[in-house]
Amino acid sequence: MSLKSLDPRVTRLNLPDGEVPAMEPKPELDQFETYEAFHQKKEGAAHTYVGPVHAPNEDVAFLFAKEQYSRRFPCVGLWIARTENIQVTPYAGDGENVYDMLRIEEPAKRSEQAEPYEIFHLKKRGKAHTHAGRVVATSYLEALQEAKNQLGEKGPIVNVWVVKSKDVLQSAEDDKDMWTTVPEKKYREAIAYKVMDKITKFKEEQKNLTAQ
Amino acid sequence: MNEQAIKDLLYKLADDQLILGHRNSEWTGFGPILEEDIAFSSMAQDKIGHSLAFYTLLQELGEADPDTVAFTRNANQFHNSQLVELPNGEYDFSLIRHFLYDNAEIIRFEMLSQSSYEPIAKVATKLKGEVKYHVLHANTWIKNLGTSTEEAILRLQSSLNEALPYALGMFENSKYEQELMDAGVYGGEEAVKAEWLKRIQAVLEKTELKMPDLESIEPRFRGRYGEHTEHLQPLLDEMAEVFKIDPTAEW
Amino acid sequence: MYGGGNVFEATKFDNLQTEDPAKLAEFEARIARGEKIEPTDWMPELYRKQLIRMIEQHAHSEIIGALPEGTWITRAPGFRRKMAQMAKVQDEVGHAQLLYSAAETLGKSREQMLTDLINGKSKYSNVFNYPAFTWADSNIISWLIDAGAIVNQMANAKGSYGPYSRALERICAEEAFHLKYGHDAVVHMATGTPKQREMIQAALNRWWGPIMTFFGPSDKMSTHTETLMRWKVKMASNDECRQQFLDMYVPKIWELGLTVPDPNLKKNQETGQWEYTEPDWDEFKRVINGDGPCNAERLAVRRTAEERGAWVRRALLNPKAKYVKPLA
Repeated sequence: MSLKSLDPRVTRLNLPDGEVPAMEPKPELDQFETYEAFHQKKEGAAHTYVGPVHAPNEDVAFLFAKEQYSRRFPCVGLWIARTENIQVTPYAGDGENVYDMLRIEEPAKRSEQAEPYEIFHLKKRGKAHTHAGRVVATSYLEALQEAKNQLGEKGPIVNVWVVKSKDVLQSAEDDKDMWTTVPEKKYREAIAYKVMDKITKFKEEQKNLTAQ
Repeated sequence: MNEQAIKDLLYKLADDQLILGHRNSEWTGFGPILEEDIAFSSMAQDKIGHSLAFYTLLQELGEADPDTVAFTRNANQFHNSQLVELPNGEYDFSLIRHFLYDNAEIIRFEMLSQSSYEPIAKVATKLKGEVKYHVLHANTWIKNLGTSTEEAILRLQSSLNEALPYALGMFENSKYEQELMDAGVYGGEEAVKAEWLKRIQAVLEKTELKMPDLESIEPRFRGRYGEHTEHLQPLLDEMAEVFKIDPTAEW
Repeated sequence: MYGGGNVFEATKFDNLQTEDPAKLAEFEARIARGEKIEPTDWMPELYRKQLIRMIEQHAHSEIIGALPEGTWITRAPGFRRKMAQMAKVQDEVGHAQLLYSAAETLGKSREQMLTDLINGKSKYSNVFNYPAFTWADSNIISWLIDAGAIVNQMANAKGSYGPYSRALERICAEEAFHLKYGHDAVVHMATGTPKQREMIQAALNRWWGPIMTFFGPSDKMSTHTETLMRWKVKMASNDECRQQFLDMYVPKIWELGLTVPDPNLKKNQETGQWEYTEPDWDEFKRVINGDGPCNAERLAVRRTAEERGAWVRRALLNPKAKYVKPLA
């Protein structure tokens, strides 16, 4: 016997009717690992953190983040980085500069190759990390030191994220047309729903009815 | 240009999009993972939006308004391919259908954006970017799942085998095929199909999925001429259940 | 969408004396200064537990909340409603994703939260255990349940936990559309044909009871509640939220000539407070404990969705992947 629902879609799912044993706990990684997403609101603007997605790999994370984080608001670009690949400083208090509080020790062993790193700053607790710039370094620690020298002057900065550029999947220039119609989808914007005229007309009619 | 030919083209485009968008919307809330649920719903909305854009062009050519056209016709008045009306099945079938459909849809949009019939060209140019995402989504999923577990590959293969005759039915020639091509309105189904085969084969080659022997497949035609499977009329009845309480009411 | 139906029970972590007094003082001072707490900051166990519980219940309410309106997703009348209904239900799923992520930053995995939801170990907003019999029910939910949720969420967005605030800001921005869409739909019904009017009044009659319980029973003030308010975990009392909701929406219901099915509902001009018939809290308790009209179906749907999608997740699972909590 399957469950008959008010929702025809549910009826078609053929749900079992009646008691069922408890579900086995979901296995580890059933929901995959996480990736962090950064969107670019308009041309020239810095990429800003929007939130994580769960995904099995970078390409799928991009597909997911594109709809979860850029379907409702204007967007021209999207970056994706695996959470595991992002190094995070402790948080300073609002108004402070976290770079002043960090003792960045030079790494004992330098790997040979210098490579670019992306630096994200959080200006105030509760806000979102924003891309501050790119530095070239041989390690995360050196990148943080470079970031302090090159980008760390303009405080307050309460938290820093450091990630290798090669670990950031960036949408391409010719991906931009995927977002061109977003602002036109008025059916999901409050502004498209104007009912005052209808209400006023209705009230008028009611008044006339009672007056008669 | 024969207006009837343009209307016929618009109806088949719009009906395909409406029915597939409707089917795909059935997944909202039931997807395999939250993020995919959201992505699939966006594409369903886009499809409905595309159908609305083409029904609006039809209205400009003197047909009834989009709501009336979409919500009051019977199955035998619909020009969609049978592929899009089939029930969703499991996620493998919905994904394969999405893959087969959208790889054709993008080619249509590329062609239509060059159309000599300007209203169509404008709509296609504007909406092409959305279909581009749909194709990226479909191809990424097929590549990922098509190289994964035996279970997933088996599921996708069996859905591919099942869907392919219907997918080939998408390329059914219309009465006006030559006329539309001669006027530069549309490049024609044969051309779409040839390009489509190349593109889907290129994706399938990166997976463990096998393209069935096309010679041995009988395409499921007749959808373009109003003949449908038993699944379309119940879908339309469900879609119009509230609308038909009072079609003259404003909902 | 979410109400204050979560009950802040005392837990064994209530005893703050086990916490490091210096760290506790620093934590409380930060909140008093109006700063947000971020995931890697030190925080008392009570704070962590209550937030997980609250954000998790909120997330469950979104994913389950997609179902009553989802009932009408394939039947929305006309293009405008069809597309908006899809977008609205989709948003609820999106909100669940945002909120599960915020809860994850506190250390509970999404796997565990989904397991607890399906096995009935953690709750969601009670209103979603009621059925949406007609299209009009769906409109009432879109308007009034979302309105209630926004009252609650606007308050919580000012709370002290950074990731929750960030998620709520996004959610509130998205829900502005829900509220207007719902109102638009209700206005069309109420000012439409006699049949439409009858449908919307009947739906309002069915939903008024659940709506009045949406914010939960009056809070029992205790030292526990005071602590949570001081820590900006709980931002407004259930009664405050209910009063604010009545203030904002009863006039909008009345101006459409609709009747609220409570003869005692009126604003006391002296106190400025709304008076109403006390909701049936026994029913509320019964339903929240599983005996509502749709509890079994809601969980069965969620479970079936998870089970039918399991092969997809198994196929893409990368055994070498390492789960790391989302950063913010």
